[in-house]
Parts: sequence; structure tokens; C-alpha cells
Amino acid sequence: MGLGLLASRALRSSSSSRVFLSTSPRYNTLVRTIVSTPELHKPEAAAAEAPAEPDLPKRTPVAGARVHFPNPDDVIEVFVDGYPVKIPKGMTVLQACSVAGVDIPRFCYHDRLSIAGNCRMCLVEVEKSPKPVASCAMPALPGMKIKTDTPIAKKAREGVMEFLLMNHPLDCPICDQGGECDLQDQSMAFGSDRGRFTETKRSVVDKNLGPLVKTVMTRCIQCTRCVRFASEIAGVQDLGMLGRGSGEEIGTYVEKLMTSELSGNVIDICPVGALTSKPFAFKARNWELKGTESIDVTDAVGSNIRIDSRGPEVMRIVPRLNEDINEEWISDKTRFCYDGLKRQRLSDPMIRGADGRFQPVSWRDALAVVAEVIHQVKPEEIVGVAGKLSDAESMILLKDFLNKMGSNNIWCEGNGKNTDADLRSGYLLNSSISGLEKADCFLLVGTQPRVEAAMVNARIRKTVRATQAKVGYVGPATDFNYDHQHLGTGPETLAAIAEGTHPFSSALASAKNPAVIVGAGIFEREDKDAIFSVLQSLAAKNENLIRPDWNGLNVLLLNAAQAAALDLGLVPESDNAIESAKFVYLMGADDVNLDNLPKDAFVVYQGHHGDSGVYRANVILPSAVFSEKEGIYANTEGCAQQTVPAVPTVGDAREDWKIIRALSEVSGVRLPYDSISAVRSRIRTVAPNLLNLDEREPAAFSISLKPESPKKVSKSPFGVTVENFYMTDAITRASKIMAQCSAVLTKK
Amino acid sequence: MAFAMRVKVPPNSANLAEARHRTFDFFRTACRAIPSIMDIYNLYDVVNPSQLRSTIAAEIRKNAHISNPKVIDMLLFKGMEELSNITEHAKQRHHIIGQYVVGNHGLVQDVASKDEDLSPFLKNFYKSNYF
Repeated sequence: MGLGLLASRALRSSSSSRVFLSTSPRYNTLVRTIVSTPELHKPEAAAAEAPAEPDLPKRTPVAGARVHFPNPDDVIEVFVDGYPVKIPKGMTVLQACSVAGVDIPRFCYHDRLSIAGNCRMCLVEVEKSPKPVASCAMPALPGMKIKTDTPIAKKAREGVMEFLLMNHPLDCPICDQGGECDLQDQSMAFGSDRGRFTETKRSVVDKNLGPLVKTVMTRCIQCTRCVRFASEIAGVQDLGMLGRGSGEEIGTYVEKLMTSELSGNVIDICPVGALTSKPFAFKARNWELKGTESIDVTDAVGSNIRIDSRGPEVMRIVPRLNEDINEEWISDKTRFCYDGLKRQRLSDPMIRGADGRFQPVSWRDALAVVAEVIHQVKPEEIVGVAGKLSDAESMILLKDFLNKMGSNNIWCEGNGKNTDADLRSGYLLNSSISGLEKADCFLLVGTQPRVEAAMVNARIRKTVRATQAKVGYVGPATDFNYDHQHLGTGPETLAAIAEGTHPFSSALASAKNPAVIVGAGIFEREDKDAIFSVLQSLAAKNENLIRPDWNGLNVLLLNAAQAAALDLGLVPESDNAIESAKFVYLMGADDVNLDNLPKDAFVVYQGHHGDSGVYRANVILPSAVFSEKEGIYANTEGCAQQTVPAVPTVGDAREDWKIIRALSEVSGVRLPYDSISAVRSRIRTVAPNLLNLDEREPAAFSISLKPESPKKVSKSPFGVTVENFYMTDAITRASKIMAQCSAVLTKK
Repeated sequence: MAFAMRVKVPPNSANLAEARHRTFDFFRTACRAIPSIMDIYNLYDVVNPSQLRSTIAAEIRKNAHISNPKVIDMLLFKGMEELSNITEHAKQRHHIIGQYVVGNHGLVQDVASKDEDLSPFLKNFYKSNYF
């Protein structure tokens, strides 16, 4: 006895015995059918005999679907397969079914896109309706009786599958979507077991959408998800529908590349293999990949990703759902930077010899050399710079180590000189990324969110699209994918808005939830204190900007390490530390300006890529990248998240915090942390918010305690902070795909 | 097949003394083979005979703690097999260099001179990233 016997018993009692009685013998002999289940040929008869009292097991909603009732009067009750479910008014039949725990097959419907209703796969039977209805487009009405597994619904799905497969090539064995293809799965579940198609299939010319998205347009089933994604989420009107009937195809009309920074997401939403990843093409099958749930470090958003690896190699990066940060999208930089993880890597410790060439040495020798040199310089001549991709553990160890050596000149690149790290509200996106959806008026100051933080920009675009929120922009002319007013280019425009002499200040004052977003590029400006005091006066003028329930004064950071560095207090003691430095410890810092560094200074580069920092280095200590180590990163809204190692380290590389811990022992100032949990308990004493993983820790204070800056804002206009969206850090600069993208897609 | 036929396994050593004697016999055989090995694999520019001799001795000393004659016989058989593979040119030059010239320490050798006063963390750190 066992499952098999139970299953056969259940089968017999439910349908087969009844159906065989009702099927007439004439039917079977006369009509040649393609349907293996004869009951489908008399749907009316079978439906009429439907049992009046279905058993009602407890159902769990599909994918954790939850219902939120904004207004108790708007609750309606519908019946899904006889199971009563309460839903708010305005939900579609398909959503009601997913709340009731029934997953309706679909191709064109997508939660985050508008409803097209053109694939007809989601047909269900509704009582008293003359024919099956497309559940994705049909609003649920009170008392509606929805039947999802009746013969009519099954027959309808089978018919739709037959039409879809009529023109879909049978190339699953060479298709990159194979194994994760909606069409493949649903044809197994709902399709007919034999075909009656004898004509030739149509073929469609492939489109060139750029270096990221590979197209095999013959596979397209015209669900138009990609068209809707491009126009609604990405905000580019590149894709469209051409032709009618069997000549219908997706394309760009004229030969044109897809120039969105979110274009990679069409790969995920395409239910078939029409749009697939070009760099991933023919590289791996999805069932041989190991998924590791990690986070992204190429910008300050901290998008949730899954790193798919095979053996020691990262094969691809795909998004993970996080409603508060990246919803279910990721930027192209996040998705396609992974080939940079295996190029230009530093694998052995190296010392620069007298001839200027690097010589591989053992860790023992490399650390001994560094320890010897660091004792020969004065404590105030020691400088430490953490890079863009540093995790919190290594930054706190770097600070502790250099403090023990007597130096307090440690900072994180991108944070500028003497940035105020006293109040977290001074450097975080206080409204939170998902909170930006509540805003009804945006003022972007010196920031180009589309290139600095593509996911934050997608959130602003979503808000602007949904609520027609006003967007004002102060900064150099740039590209936006939503309506905006270009108010000016320099800080004096901001001052005018703060004083109330600018027309936009009335819009800001009348807004319910205004959001001012300041770019982190301001940190590098000389007059940043003056600009922040202008913002303080702006907040003082507009009481709606900072309230107990809303904080609209935001800073949009650029790099993954920035927020954690400021949380940990990595602020340099002196402003011109580099000019007088004799010993510089670069922990993955590639963009720090070393032109003013004295010629005889000793530079240690601890990092994972042979990037610009290596050119000046005397000693190289190889470290691990984010896909190889466990590390805490805080994103721009102050949400601490952690990376998870997906692949082993390259060569003789070590994790960052271990290198500094080992170096401290060799230098004779041993740090007492032997494990990552010991390092984290040290972090707990400095910044406990960094250990609150996956939870956003909002800034506690946001009242202005700062004195008015005596300096005046300068006349110089705001600059462009990120020149090239595709290449911002050591990993992306080493990536071949990112190089292709910047060659092809950046506008010159 | 003919090669397999030639191999004849001698009877087990009766006692530890006999096993010890056989071990020395094997060491001598291996040492006598060194000149031809140097010749076959053209090792003159990477190693000299005395280094190879000490490598062989070190490989044998690795198992110095074993006192069971049966186990020693088994190890000797494996050693014999390895030696005949080498002398019959069943290996390639990089095998010899990788296994017996460079050894399993890698190109960059950590000379452990004053390892005693190091913390366990640092000792592990020098070995690998994973501990």
C-alpha cells in the first residue's frame, strides 16, 4: 500500500467512473480526436454533474499572496472551486484565485505590468457566463462562482496551447530557456499529448537589441510582456508590436538597440526563450547551477540577487524578490557584471621589486614586509582608504588596526573630506526606497538617479507614473525617463528654492510628502557644508519636509561601502592626509586620487582586481570579491544586508578581514578577533544597526543640530558624478560585457 | 596484458625485520634508477640526483610510524608500481616535476622558521582561506 494505491483510489472515485458512463460509444468511433481524455468532449454534461458539495481543504495562497483591505466596505466574497474567499473590490478573477490558492496558468499576465489579456491561457469558467473568461482581465464580482478545473477550462487551455505551439519551434534542446520555460512547463501540464499540425511553421527575423539581450524571435508567443515592461517600468519606448495576425511580431521597427539600464529584466519576464541573456547563451543549463542568495554591491542600492554558480565559476546573476529595495528587477550592471569576477584577478601576494616589476611571494613574506615598513613611519603619516566594495567587517578592522598603529586617517572613498557622520539622517535615504512611492513632489539636487542608482530611479518613475508627482531637477542636463522640470544647474538655484523666490518652492511647500534627494557627489565638493545648510534652511521653511511620520530630506549614496563606512565612523582626522602620507593602505580603493602622494610613500593595495590602485602599489595582498565572502553591507536607505559566498576564492586570496587580522599580528598589534562572529561583536559595539540584517534601521534623529555654515555656496554648477553607468568599480571595469555596453550604449 | 602478467607479488613479509629489509632494498632500487630517470625526463636543469634521493627518502619516512608488516608490504608494492611507471616512461615530465621536484608545497615555499609563537589564526591563515 502507499501513495500509488491511494492515488488510484482517489482517481476512481472522482471522475473516471462517472465519465465512462456518460460517454456514448458513438462518439468514440466517429470522431478522430487529439484529446486523450474523452470527458472533455462533453463539457456540458460533465459540468452538469459537478458535485454539489466539494471537499474544502485549507488552502494556502499562491506564493504567499496576501490581501490588504483598505476599506472594510469594499470586501466581496467569491467562490473559487466552491471555496469562499474574501477579496477587496477591483481585484481580478486571477488574483482572487491566487488568494484562494489556485495558480492559474498565464503567459501575458504579470503582477507588475498592465493587463493585456491577449494570451488567453488564463481562461476559467465562471458560472452563468456563456463562455470561458480571461481571468486576468475580468474583475471579480460579488458572489461570482469561479471554476478553474472544469472540463471547459481544461479544454480551453488545451486549445490555447495548441495554437501557441503551432508556430513555436520545437528547439527546446538548444534553447537557453529550457528547464525554466513557462511554455515548456505549461505544455507539459495543460497541453495536448499529440499534435495535428502538418503545415510549416512561421519564422521571424531576429532583432538586434544590443550586447545584453539575445533574441530568437521565432520562439516569441506575442505575450507583449517585454513591450509593456519597456514602456511602463524601464520608460523607454523602444519595443513595440508590428504587423497583424500571423505576421505579428515584436520589434523596434527601425534597427535600434534597447538603451535602457533595466533592459536585462526582459530576459526574466519573457515566458519563452525569445529573449535570453546574450552572455549566458549556451553556457549552462539551469538545473546544473547552484543558487546562492546574496546581494549586489555595484551600487548603493543593495539589490537582492541570486548568484548562480557551477563549480568555481559564477555563471549568471538573477534578481531576487525584495519589495522594499528592488522589487523583482535589477539593473544591467548588477546582472551582467559577473564576467568581471574572473578577469584581471589578483591571485598571489606580490611585492614590487627594484626593477618595478611585481614578484609573487608568500603571504608570510608579504605581511612581514608591510609590518616592517609600517613601523618605520610616523603614526600621523599612515593613511588607510577603504574602497567602494568594502564590507563592514574589513572596514572596522582596518580602522581598529590603524588606530592601534596611532593613525586616525581612515576613510572610505566617495565620502569626501570631513563628511559629517554624526547623524545617520545626514547621509541616508531617509524616506526609504519603497517610501518614495508616497512622495508627491521630488527635488533632485546634483544627482542623476538613472545612472547612480537605477533601482531608485525605477521607484521614482513608478511614483511619477502612478501619481503624476512633480519632479524638479537641479544639476547638469541629463537623461530622465519621466517628466521633470530642469530648474537650474548650480547651488544658487537651490538657494533660490530655499529662500522661496523660485517658482518650484511653492510646489514643494504645497506638497503633502515632498522628497528632496541629494546626490552623494556633493560630498566631494568644497562647499558641501554650505549646501547642506541651505538644505537645512529649506527643511526649516517647509515643515512638511521633515515630520515625525515622514522624512523627505534624502541623500542618495553611490557605493555599497559608503553607508557602512559612515556608520562605523571612517572619517579622516586631517583634510590633506594624502599629501603628507608615507604609508598608504588601500583596501580596494581604486578611485582615490594619488597624484599628490609623495614619491617615497609606501602603498599597500589589498584588493581583488588589478585595477588602477595597483599601478602605484608596492605590495599587493589579494582578497576575495563579494561572491566569495561573507560580508555586511548597508545600502543607501540604511538597510544592512549580507553577501553569502557562492564560489571559492581565486588562487591564494584571502578574505579582507582575515588579511588585516593577520597583518595586525605580524605587526605586533594583534587584534583580538579570530572569527567573523568576533568581528561582528566588535561591530555591535560601534554600529549595532549593521547587525540588524535585512531590516531597515531608520535614522533616529533628524532635527537640525548643525550650526549654520559660515561659508557661501559657490557658483560652480553641480557635476556629473557617474560618467559611465556600466563601469564604476573594479569589478565592472574588468568586465568585458560592461565594456561592450559602454562602447555601444552610452550616449556620446 | 603482457605487462600485467610480469607482475608477481612476493609473499608477505614474515616479520617487521624482513619488511624493513625490503624497504631498504626498495630505496636502493629507486636510487639506482635516479640517473636513468634524470635522463628520461631531462631533469638536469631543474634538480640534481641528491635532491631526488632525499625526496625519495622523505616519501618513505612519511610512513615511518607504520609497524604492521602487511601495510608496509602494501606501501612497498605501491612504491614499486610508481617506480616502474616512472622508469617505463608512463609519466610525463610535468608529473615528475610536480610530484617530486616542486612537491605539494607549491612554488612559493613558506619556510616555517618561528611558527611556534604564532597564534592558531595566523598559522591557519598562512595555509588557506578556509578555516
